[in-house]
Amino acid sequence: MKLNASSPSGSTYLLVPILLLFALLIVAVIRSPSLISGTGIGSALIVAAPLVLATYALMVVAIAGRGTVDLSVGPLLGFINVTLVQLHGADLVSSPLAVFAYVIAAGVAYQLVMGLIIIYVRVQPIIVALSGYLALSGINLVIMPRPSGTAPDWMMSWGAGTSIFSPVLVIVVLSTAAWLVFARSAFCGHLRMMGFDERAAYTSGVRINAVRLGAHCIAGVFSGLAALTVTSLIGSGDPTQGTTYTLIAVTALVLGGTSLAGGRGGAIGSLIGALNLFLIGYVLATFNFGGIQGFVTEMAYGLILVLSFLLSVALPYLQRHIRHVSPFLVFVALSMLFTAVMLHAKYDYGQPANVQESTASFPADERASSAFFFELGESASDFAMSANQKSMALAALLLVSVVFILRVSVAEAKTRLMTPFMYVSLLIIILVVIWLLATSNGHAAQSFASAKKQAWMIAVGA
Amino acid sequence: MQRTLSPFPMWVGLVIAALIAGLGTGLGFWQGLPAQNVILYTAATFALVLWLWQHVVAVGSSGTAADSASTAPGEAHPSARAAFRKFLTGNRGLLLALLLLLGAFLIASVTVSGFFTGLNVIALLILIVLLVFAVRVSKFFINNRSAFIGLTVLAGLFAISSFTIEGFASAANIKSMLVFASFLGLACVGQTFVALLGGLDLSIPFVIGSSNVGLLYLIKLGVPSWIAVIVVLLLGTFIGFINGILSLRVQGQALILTLGVGFAVSGLTQIMTSIGSAQMGNVYGKVPDWLRNLAAMNGKTFGLSVPPIILIWAGMAVLLIYGLKNTVYGRYLYALGGNRICAGQLMFSEGRYWVGTFMVSGIFSAITGSLLLGWSGGGFIGVGQPYLFMTLAAVVIGGTSLLGGYGGYGFTVIGVLVLQVLTSFLVGIGLTFEWQQFIFGLLILPMVALYARSAHIRTQV
Repeated sequence: MKLNASSPSGSTYLLVPILLLFALLIVAVIRSPSLISGTGIGSALIVAAPLVLATYALMVVAIAGRGTVDLSVGPLLGFINVTLVQLHGADLVSSPLAVFAYVIAAGVAYQLVMGLIIIYVRVQPIIVALSGYLALSGINLVIMPRPSGTAPDWMMSWGAGTSIFSPVLVIVVLSTAAWLVFARSAFCGHLRMMGFDERAAYTSGVRINAVRLGAHCIAGVFSGLAALTVTSLIGSGDPTQGTTYTLIAVTALVLGGTSLAGGRGGAIGSLIGALNLFLIGYVLATFNFGGIQGFVTEMAYGLILVLSFLLSVALPYLQRHIRHVSPFLVFVALSMLFTAVMLHAKYDYGQPANVQESTASFPADERASSAFFFELGESASDFAMSANQKSMALAALLLVSVVFILRVSVAEAKTRLMTPFMYVSLLIIILVVIWLLATSNGHAAQSFASAKKQAWMIAVGA
Repeated sequence: MQRTLSPFPMWVGLVIAALIAGLGTGLGFWQGLPAQNVILYTAATFALVLWLWQHVVAVGSSGTAADSASTAPGEAHPSARAAFRKFLTGNRGLLLALLLLLGAFLIASVTVSGFFTGLNVIALLILIVLLVFAVRVSKFFINNRSAFIGLTVLAGLFAISSFTIEGFASAANIKSMLVFASFLGLACVGQTFVALLGGLDLSIPFVIGSSNVGLLYLIKLGVPSWIAVIVVLLLGTFIGFINGILSLRVQGQALILTLGVGFAVSGLTQIMTSIGSAQMGNVYGKVPDWLRNLAAMNGKTFGLSVPPIILIWAGMAVLLIYGLKNTVYGRYLYALGGNRICAGQLMFSEGRYWVGTFMVSGIFSAITGSLLLGWSGGGFIGVGQPYLFMTLAAVVIGGTSLLGGYGGYGFTVIGVLVLQVLTSFLVGIGLTFEWQQFIFGLLILPMVALYARSAHIRTQV
């Protein structure tokens, strides 16, 4: 049962972030339909990627237990960013291979030192993290007193955010996939066991020092990649920008259902948590608060953090009643609802004839449901939009019923059997949608550069 | 085991005292101080060192005697080589630290021009002697080890700073250091209380900033200043109450929860104070004179030229140290921090104490924020920001365990003073804020490692 909690379908902790995700997505799409376009998603992805990866880095060490909240993750991103830009300025590191090697090596080296201190000096991890936070944010400003420098040229195009297919997407997808594969390994089992109960792990022969060091190495890789995406996002070196990631990433971590006491957590939850945090900033940006924008965002982060904590307290009581609800099924069902809202928001009721253009701009969200598949298939022919919507609704109904029947038929045997099917179907849908969107990307009209910059400021600069 | 000192340690003590006093005399004449002063200080140093030596040897002799008695039969004729090896393994950490220190000094003298001066060499020697002293002698202290180490570090830092930096030991500088230490010390009261129960309160900086801005806002609205202060303190207490209630069931993660509450409070305050005003996040207004006098560097207490805040802090410290040791509330706090189950069986409410400590934290943060308004004269939300990690660092360096049940406000006072002297030292030798932060970060770790290491896992099974 405990180990099962790690798989997404067995974890009710994911219900809250999923519900919040779709609530935010619906509001975001209604408030600002331009989110659903090639450039909209592309730039959203580039802004959200560092947060996602930083949350992964926090997650790995949080699972390792002893209350390890790596507060130094933000300054570490800043440190790698600043040193990378300075090294590039000195023409020491410029080729892609060298840059990747450098960021990963720097992240791993820092995390290894941290792990060694935790293991051999045996100081509480939070103290080590605090120490690292102060030291790194100090040295960042010494290395680069004010924002300056440029990222390597080949990286400049990454931050443009004009299409969904960008190297940043590849990095995020590969990191997530790598964790999902890793989560099946024995090493990860040891890691979770150590996080739950270090003494039990030790007495049952787990080499806890090796496991802890391994966790820190993985966190180092994630931090390095996060720093790389930060660098591509801002295109230069900035000693203080990274520091702001610490608090947001911790919030995302908690929201994503990772237990700070250790032992529980996963990439899916962290991904959803980080996306939630990004969307909060995005949604708040669409309301024009003027000068108090930053304060409202700050308050919203605080309130969301507190509320998600309260829900995690209430969850054990709720769990008695919702134990048989699969978060994954909720996810699929909610994405139907979201698709409907999206259609409503994007559908131009005034011009039913202009099919080609509106199809190009709407179906884009990665998390969008299968309904897209059908919808896009139909739209290739010359259907009017109303017919399109009908087919949409039909398709959605069909999928719900298929999923429901499958769910009921398998539920009595094992929940898990369902999972691969859902994964595969969702993956195919996402790939098809992305492919269609990428090929028809030229139609996506407005430039999103300024909006991207704004979103970045809100997501991080709060 | 006779109680009086045997001749050998006594003579060693005399020689050491004479050496140290002689060093002081030489330095004093070299700096050209008046002869009376030099003689007075030499006598004082001599007496102090002798008294300390006698104390330490008297405490230590029983312990070492027991030690040697237990180990003697095992190794009848230890060879010199084996003894050397034993010495090496027994003092691994210390030797490593010494090597690191020497290495850092060598690197600094090679890379920084003008670093290798007589004063710096003396400073290094003092540092080494202190390190050895602190580590060797603190083994004989069962209780209050961290306080002992803290005091040693404080004395050493003060000694080094006062002869490397001109005017460090002057009355004006000490006064300004104490004023800053008072702000930090008052902000740390709550953190100490919460840490005694095994929690952490990260909302402190936000409450400080909010009360700072909120107080000036209220005064600007025309509320009488004393009513405004009371309102702000009540609001601070209320925030603490919310913190406590919300984190009662997730005590392990109070750290993150209070951070969230802090964010929300600070955002809310800024929204409230910014509505209808042109300056976003800043409030301008007239700070009442009594509040200004309370915290300003040139403030007067009943005519004496001591800023009242120093006296407030000192009084509060005495009260809290006494209260924690001698009142029912204080004893229960320790009991609860030490062992929840036992405390529960003694029939006192865990929830009430947990919420209570957070309320203490809230009210003291609000006090600090209000006093900082008197000091700076203008409301600024970011005024609390340095206190986010400083309060934590002071509590940890002082030696209060973050796991709860051990420590006290006296320890925190030592931690605050160490941090303050260190900051002044770093400012004095001309380091910028970034370097200070860097060195702070690097220093917290070894300081904590001196006494707050947790046991190896194999001893916990």
